[in-house]
Amino acid sequence: MLNTITTKLNTSFKVSKHIAPLAVLRIAFGSIMLVSVVRFILRGWVSAFYIKPKFHFTFYGFDWVKAPGAAGMYLLFALLIIAAILVTIGLFYRVAIIAFFLCFTYVELLDKTTYLNHYYFISVTAFLMIWVPAHRYFSVDVLLRPKLLVNRIPGWAINIFKLQLILVYFFAGVSKLNYDWLIAAMPLKIWLPANSQLPIIGGLLTQTWVAYAFSWFGAIFDLFIGFLLLDKRYRKPAYVMVIIFHLATAWLFKIGMFPYIMIFVTVIFFSERTHIKIINFFKLLLPRTASHAPAQYRLPQFKANFIYGLLVLHFAVQVVMPFRFLLYPGKLYWTEEGYRFSWRVMLMEKGGTVFFHVKDPKTGQKSEVINSQYLTDFQETQMSTQPDMILQFAHFLAAEYEKKGIKNPVVTAESYVTLNGSGSRLFIDSTVNLATEQETFGHKKWIRPFNN
Amino acid sequence: MRKFIYLAVIAASALILIQSCSKSSGGGTTPTNTGTTFDRKGMLTNISTNIIIPAYTAYQANTTTLDAAVTAFNANPSLTTLTAVQAAFKAAYLQWQSTSTFEFGPAAQIELRVNTNTYPADINQINSNITTSTYNSGLLANLAAKGFPALDYLLFGTGADNNAILVQYTTGANAAYRKTYLAALSAELKTNATTVLSAWTSAYKTTFVNADGTDVSSSVGYLTNQLVFDYEILKNYEIGIPAGVQSMGTTFPQKVQGFYSGISLQLLNQHLAALKNIYTGASGLGFDDYLISANAKYSGGSLNDGIIAQFAAASAKLQNLTDPLSANIQSNNTAVVAAYTELQKLTVLLKTDMTSSLGILITYGDNDGD
Repeated sequence: MLNTITTKLNTSFKVSKHIAPLAVLRIAFGSIMLVSVVRFILRGWVSAFYIKPKFHFTFYGFDWVKAPGAAGMYLLFALLIIAAILVTIGLFYRVAIIAFFLCFTYVELLDKTTYLNHYYFISVTAFLMIWVPAHRYFSVDVLLRPKLLVNRIPGWAINIFKLQLILVYFFAGVSKLNYDWLIAAMPLKIWLPANSQLPIIGGLLTQTWVAYAFSWFGAIFDLFIGFLLLDKRYRKPAYVMVIIFHLATAWLFKIGMFPYIMIFVTVIFFSERTHIKIINFFKLLLPRTASHAPAQYRLPQFKANFIYGLLVLHFAVQVVMPFRFLLYPGKLYWTEEGYRFSWRVMLMEKGGTVFFHVKDPKTGQKSEVINSQYLTDFQETQMSTQPDMILQFAHFLAAEYEKKGIKNPVVTAESYVTLNGSGSRLFIDSTVNLATEQETFGHKKWIRPFNN
Repeated sequence: MRKFIYLAVIAASALILIQSCSKSSGGGTTPTNTGTTFDRKGMLTNISTNIIIPAYTAYQANTTTLDAAVTAFNANPSLTTLTAVQAAFKAAYLQWQSTSTFEFGPAAQIELRVNTNTYPADINQINSNITTSTYNSGLLANLAAKGFPALDYLLFGTGADNNAILVQYTTGANAAYRKTYLAALSAELKTNATTVLSAWTSAYKTTFVNADGTDVSSSVGYLTNQLVFDYEILKNYEIGIPAGVQSMGTTFPQKVQGFYSGISLQLLNQHLAALKNIYTGASGLGFDDYLISANAKYSGGSLNDGIIAQFAAASAKLQNLTDPLSANIQSNNTAVVAAYTELQKLTVLLKTDMTSSLGILITYGDNDGD
């Protein structure tokens, strides 16, 4: 079986295909990104998330990523808008998509408070789009330099996006295969009744069986939808399911642009004929232009090899990342060690409160910290359930109190967390001096076990 | 194609084994929802009809009485009229404790809370307003020179006893402007109270009852967020900061609420009782019924029982203290800190357990559920 898969992969990645799906993807991705970025600015989030906070929770190893101040932040977002427009129309495409990838990823790396799987997905997709010739058909670049036009490209340039989407859905499905989601119908048993005011279905949402039905359907959908979209026999009904599923989640939960991004991007699964039709439809809306004799897209061998190597590495990482949690002891949802970058979405209802205490070791005198003096509500809420953020803030506090003249302050966290309705319990060992604990990829021994 | 599906099924089954082995243990304590619909609209109707509007009505009446007492005092400053103003002040300040929580809708529009009760009062600002005969209520610097804290100082803190205070309004320097200032402060309280009350009784009540979802800008969201926020004000500002829990043990007795009138503990007790009353919805539908209907659990029992017990435990610890609280902080701070510690435990139950069990969103921004 493995052999047939390998051959299949080989042919589907090398066989020559029409470029239309890539052009459609470029337009779909560029335009939905434009909407996302503009929405983000209009909601005042640039200021609320990146300008107002005095302290940012950077990612481990990315402390050098600093918020560039108000002017710098708006400049970054202006660049994102310009890049999204250029990607959509296919002008200066390579520069635009690289700029988009870099600016977007930079913003995401500023503060893990705002981490969302869908932002990660955007970074990953933008990264993949750097390596494909999405601008060499139906683009302003081609209009300006007709020689760029190609109509046939190697299959991999399209199939990497399908593979990435399959991985996203599949791992999202796999992460739902656990006791809480399937047997306890958590957290949907909490989240669905919270929407009981909705017209028509509101009453249903309070029913226990509905929480079970949604949980199981969600898991099955995520596990199989990618594969169903691959097969042309199931593609149309599968895409209808994609639309219904994502619109339902958009209606029920505050998940922002994610549903629409997925609805747009999964169009890539359709056949080249469908995509040519889409392009032809767009052409009807635009002035006619003289066509140029199209060609086959060819890369010099060393460039092709470089890209192949890069893609193999990328997907190897993609496949391994969601499993890294297995290296850590304890309950994943509780410790969140190996939780991010694994397509774990909508899996838990987790809340917490954390009180930090700073002690002067010389006098033995203690202070409780008012977190809101340093953090926004959003940051405090996110921090209260995530150990790595608690540690980062403890280090920040230690530095603050050093500045106030206290030598080697002892920083402890008294934190209470509730997970999927478990009731709050002590989360962090409140006797441990977090000021002297270091962030590593290793297990944090000071996280108390969930069951005690 | 079929092979892909088989492969997916096999991989999925393998993973189910891995994950269920490592993670199933947490499920034992998850609540089982009974499936009954909780009437959120009914809760909002009850709380607005039987708690919020009566609170604003009483508060508006109290500030009207206070303003009238100030007018009478200014017309004829005497020990009798001064005592009457002081009594009216205490009554209004106590009623404010039952009114401060509802900082959304009409109250949020005029930022009622900070305009009414920013303390400790800024004595320098107050005195400079009087000596320069200027008071601009819109000035940010005047937030701590207006409302109850400023009145507290002007009516109780400007002399050793009532005779000395009276002098300030009769023969003392700037007596005339002092009276003008006093009148401006009580009038502002009354105007604000009237504005908010009339907004509630005209249109806002319907708006409030109809926003019956659970997101940040729903009424349940507002109410929960403000209940928690106001509770934290109580815990931090009415007791914690004065008792020195946030300042390496250095106490600040003069930072208590109502420092000059010396009714801090009375205010604190009233505030706590008012918050509990909102939680229970008085005798109607409240958060207690909501949590019971969601079958919310805490520490092996019901969350509602846990919250009620913690309200009682905190109240009990406050019974060990006496007014003036500032004197307690100086003489018996251990008991004050003990009360604070008990109050702190309730923060967790309200802020974390209650909101999480009900799926109420407490922050803006998109989420994907982590």
